[in-house]
Amino acid sequence: MGLILWTISFLIDLALMASTFYQIVILTDLESDYINIYDTASRINHIVVPEFIVQGVLCAIFLVTWHWFMFLITVPLTCYHVMLFLKRQHLFDVTEAFRFLSAEKKFRLIKLGFYLVVFAIVTGRLALSAFEYLADMDDAEHLF
Amino acid sequence: MGTENRGRPQFPARPAATPFAAAPPPQNMMPFSSSGPLVGSEASGFRPTPPAAPLPTVPSSTPVVGSQASGFRSPPLARFNDPSVPPPPTSNIPPPVGPYQRFSASPFPSAAQAPLSHAPPLGQPVAQPPAPPASLRPQSQIPPVPMGSPPQSISFSSPNVNVPYSSSDSTFPAPRPNFQSSFPGYARMQSNADLQAPPIQSPFPPHQGGYAPAPPASSSPFLTHQGGYVPPMPVAAPLGLQSRDQMQHLGSGPPIGSIQGLMEDFSSLSVGSVPGSVDPGIDLKALPRPLDGDVEPKLFTEMYPMNCDPRYLRLTTSAIPNSASLVSRWHLPLGAVVCPLAEAPDGEEVPVVNFVSTGIIRCRRCRTYVNPFVTFTDAGRKWRCNICSLLNDVPGEYFAHLDATGRRIDLNQRPELTKGSVEFVAPTEYMMRPPMPPVYFFLIDVSISAVRSGMIEVVAQTIRSCLDELPGYPRTQIGFATFDSAIHFYNMKSSLAQPQMMVVSDLDDIFLPLPDDLLVNLSESRSVVETFLDSLPSMFQDNVNVESAFGPALKGAFMVMSQLGGKLLIFQNTLPSLGVGRLKLRGDDLRVYGTDKEQTLRLPEDPFYKQMAAELTKYQIAVNLYAFSDKYTDIASLGTLAKYTGGQVNYYPSFQSAIHGKKLRHELTRDLTRETAWEAVMRIRCGKGVRFTSYHGNFMLRSTDLMALPAVDCDKAYAMQLSLEETLLTTQTVYFQVALLYTASCGERRIRVHTAAAPVVADLGEMYRQADAGAIVSLFSRLAIEKTLSHKLEDARNSVQLRIVKALKEYRNLYAVQHRLGGRMIYPESLKFLPLYGLAICRSTPLRGGYADASLDERCSAGYTMMTLPVKKLLKLLYPSLIRLDEHLLKASAQVDDLKNLDKRLPLAAENLDPRGLYLYDDGFRFFIWFGKALSPDVAMSLLGADFAAELSKATLYEHDNEMSRKLIRILEKFRERDPSYYPLCHLVRQGEQPREGFLLLSNLVEDQMGGTNGYVDWILQIHRQVQQNG
Repeated sequence: MGLILWTISFLIDLALMASTFYQIVILTDLESDYINIYDTASRINHIVVPEFIVQGVLCAIFLVTWHWFMFLITVPLTCYHVMLFLKRQHLFDVTEAFRFLSAEKKFRLIKLGFYLVVFAIVTGRLALSAFEYLADMDDAEHLF
Repeated sequence: MGTENRGRPQFPARPAATPFAAAPPPQNMMPFSSSGPLVGSEASGFRPTPPAAPLPTVPSSTPVVGSQASGFRSPPLARFNDPSVPPPPTSNIPPPVGPYQRFSASPFPSAAQAPLSHAPPLGQPVAQPPAPPASLRPQSQIPPVPMGSPPQSISFSSPNVNVPYSSSDSTFPAPRPNFQSSFPGYARMQSNADLQAPPIQSPFPPHQGGYAPAPPASSSPFLTHQGGYVPPMPVAAPLGLQSRDQMQHLGSGPPIGSIQGLMEDFSSLSVGSVPGSVDPGIDLKALPRPLDGDVEPKLFTEMYPMNCDPRYLRLTTSAIPNSASLVSRWHLPLGAVVCPLAEAPDGEEVPVVNFVSTGIIRCRRCRTYVNPFVTFTDAGRKWRCNICSLLNDVPGEYFAHLDATGRRIDLNQRPELTKGSVEFVAPTEYMMRPPMPPVYFFLIDVSISAVRSGMIEVVAQTIRSCLDELPGYPRTQIGFATFDSAIHFYNMKSSLAQPQMMVVSDLDDIFLPLPDDLLVNLSESRSVVETFLDSLPSMFQDNVNVESAFGPALKGAFMVMSQLGGKLLIFQNTLPSLGVGRLKLRGDDLRVYGTDKEQTLRLPEDPFYKQMAAELTKYQIAVNLYAFSDKYTDIASLGTLAKYTGGQVNYYPSFQSAIHGKKLRHELTRDLTRETAWEAVMRIRCGKGVRFTSYHGNFMLRSTDLMALPAVDCDKAYAMQLSLEETLLTTQTVYFQVALLYTASCGERRIRVHTAAAPVVADLGEMYRQADAGAIVSLFSRLAIEKTLSHKLEDARNSVQLRIVKALKEYRNLYAVQHRLGGRMIYPESLKFLPLYGLAICRSTPLRGGYADASLDERCSAGYTMMTLPVKKLLKLLYPSLIRLDEHLLKASAQVDDLKNLDKRLPLAAENLDPRGLYLYDDGFRFFIWFGKALSPDVAMSLLGADFAAELSKATLYEHDNEMSRKLIRILEKFRERDPSYYPLCHLVRQGEQPREGFLLLSNLVEDQMGGTNGYVDWILQIHRQVQQNG
């Protein structure tokens, strides 16, 4: 059971990191004028909502599996996402892109850092539970 | 409070040199003395008396000259001096010691010395070499000298009382610049010197010895005054006595040079009152006012004659700071205001250059266009880019030999090398697609309220009358769509006899009923278009549809235009209620004001509008919005379309064709016929080390520094702010180059290039000297309006004030050490109007007051408009002109064409409105004609005809059959011709006609106090106080 949970969390977090990293790359490209602003906006805005949902799901998984510690770590970001969504500020604003560019980038960098922390914890837990699982298997073998 | 700043050093002179080095020899005192406060102070040494100082107690106050003379020579002077000289320091004033230090030479006998370490030489004034009479004269000439203030100033009956009052009074602001104000008091003193001497002295010592415990008899007026007692007279007047004496010492002593230097460095305003006192102590009349309108900085253009004209590019300061620390001390915006297509007067048109054979000469690295500041080297084979200093090759066809001075021999035939503004014809590399034709698409609301207001008829007639003048014949394309709860497209194919209407009522999935022919070539389909416009008003006259499918209609229009781009003119009368982009009534919620949600009202409610705007810009479509509703129409949301597409918002609240028809006709005509640049992009390049970081105006940024402007015209200006990328600039000069790449209506692709150079300075004082108040105000207002979108109005206003305070404080610190500033408010000559304009920004429609002071729609539309206005127009709007008309009208001989007399603008304060007069208030957007209560009925009758007794809200102004009426109408016409970009509609107001008068006119008189907002005097005092705090 634990192994499955941590594997799923691991994959989800990996996906979140990838998406955030992708957005940062796009914003950097925009800054140096390698990509036009309309493409930037449409590419980023495509993945914003899915990312929010996936992050919410991760948070929910921790809640329903009673992993309090992990839940408390992830819930602030979920709340922040929900707030952005409710204020309709979650999408990248084409018209004012350059005014908020640095802020948007900073936000995503912080988020990436956060995901990395979660990633480290999840990897550790995954390794632990894999070890336990294998140990259990060994034990089970021994029983026979 | 004179504000003159004479003998400013010419540009190159660095301030360091100025104060003393530049100090003129004694005869130079003249210029000096002629300026208000400073001069006064200086000149006071010679005891001239200013003209207007009628003190009842003074027998000889009247004849200026006489008193002057007497004052000048009178031996008893000495007596005066001592009482007045040593004012005890008061709490809020910087220690008065400073001023006296320099005089330490002579011992000060009187008790006054006590608090001071150095006393001014008592005898000195007397001994003082007779000042050149010259210095006196100028003084008396100064009309604005504050003391002029009300004769009633004196309510004292006995000299006894009077004297102590004045002397003590003067004591507290001692180090301040009261001098100027002091004249009256002084005059009196002089003439009566002998008589009054004893009383004067007696009250004084108590002050000096123990300031607070002074005997009530003598000191009472003084103390109370400080406490906030309102003296019956302007404090300023009595002050004179003392300050004069001080000044005397100053003037006579060795430090003369420094004072003169100080004169040159800044202007100052004496603020005579203590904080807390109700009496302002400022002479209202002497406050600086921009009554001559906007003055472009001359110095700058003179220094770099090859710079483009300031009408195209204005820097907030023409001296670029050389270090980041200097930038941080310059608290005003650092940037530029660009109006790339400004209308040039005849004979100064921008030359067009066609590099057919060579291609446009540009720097390889930074892409700068060749301009007058590039240098040719290597016998003319290479040129050095002035912006990035890269050596470029000169193409063979462009080669020319250099003469002995290193200039190209063909310079005279090369406008691009001699003129700051040129236009290059762009070859095909500059086109993404063939140049587009001018496209006009009209999206017209035909719901019931639009029909009722008569808007449709006016619009149809106006468009029809402009068909001949639309730019770009014969390529011009035109199309129409109308909407209520459905969208109506019109097939205008040239082969049809009359247009076919096609109705699309599926609002969720807009489609075009025809692939083409919705947008047709005007010259081919002219007759169909005319038929359509003729029948349009009647087509919908019985329409009772109250809905508005604005969003879907906009999408439809977008689909029609997306092939070509162009201008989309939207005539909108009903709040969008169907389909995407429908909006709610949200503007009438009083409770939201003052809360954190306040600013959301000024933001677009539905993201649809921003997205649409971005799409429109992408396809080179500019939106001009004409809104007419009498109810809330959410201009905040709709205006977004114009904001991001480089368009404009014209709002005619409660449009009635009978009243506003003319205005709409004129402005729509102007919109349709003015020269327009299509599918444009603009970039401003600048030298290494500086970078433009933020842009303000109606456009969309396509990349970090590229403004996308689907349509540009002469009435649009853009502002931008600079920042330093390097901590220290090593170059001597920074160059700016604005390049606007656009398609002209004739179908030619062109690049308009404006180049300007500005020196780099290491000194803050120089930056202030070179400041351009107009550009600063323009940037300020844009920043403030942007701030209202994310903050409360209150915060936006405070930020304007705060920045002015910071700037003045920094400026003060610059001179506080060298010069004794005392309580004077000092500011650079170049920025003398800045405080007033700051006040005007806070009082302007987008920022003023709260909920009740302007409707949300008016606020937003004014905000959108002010974001586009060129500097001159904006300043006119902020500080409108107020002109007295009746005298001109009554003068039989006065020719209308002779507008000279009418150029006399009055300060915008209600006290300038004489009930016997007839006044015109003109802010460039509206005329208000104010009829005084006591205006002769003949005048009113001849101007208004039978209406003259009626309520003026219903009366309209039209020409009557008499000379006066014709004259008035012609005057108005003249004023309108001067600035054709908007049509000021004439509103008539009668004095005392409330609430109309207050609402229309009085609330716009910026200098008056109005419902909790500051008047000019309070504003200056407030700023002054804040500047002095911790200063």
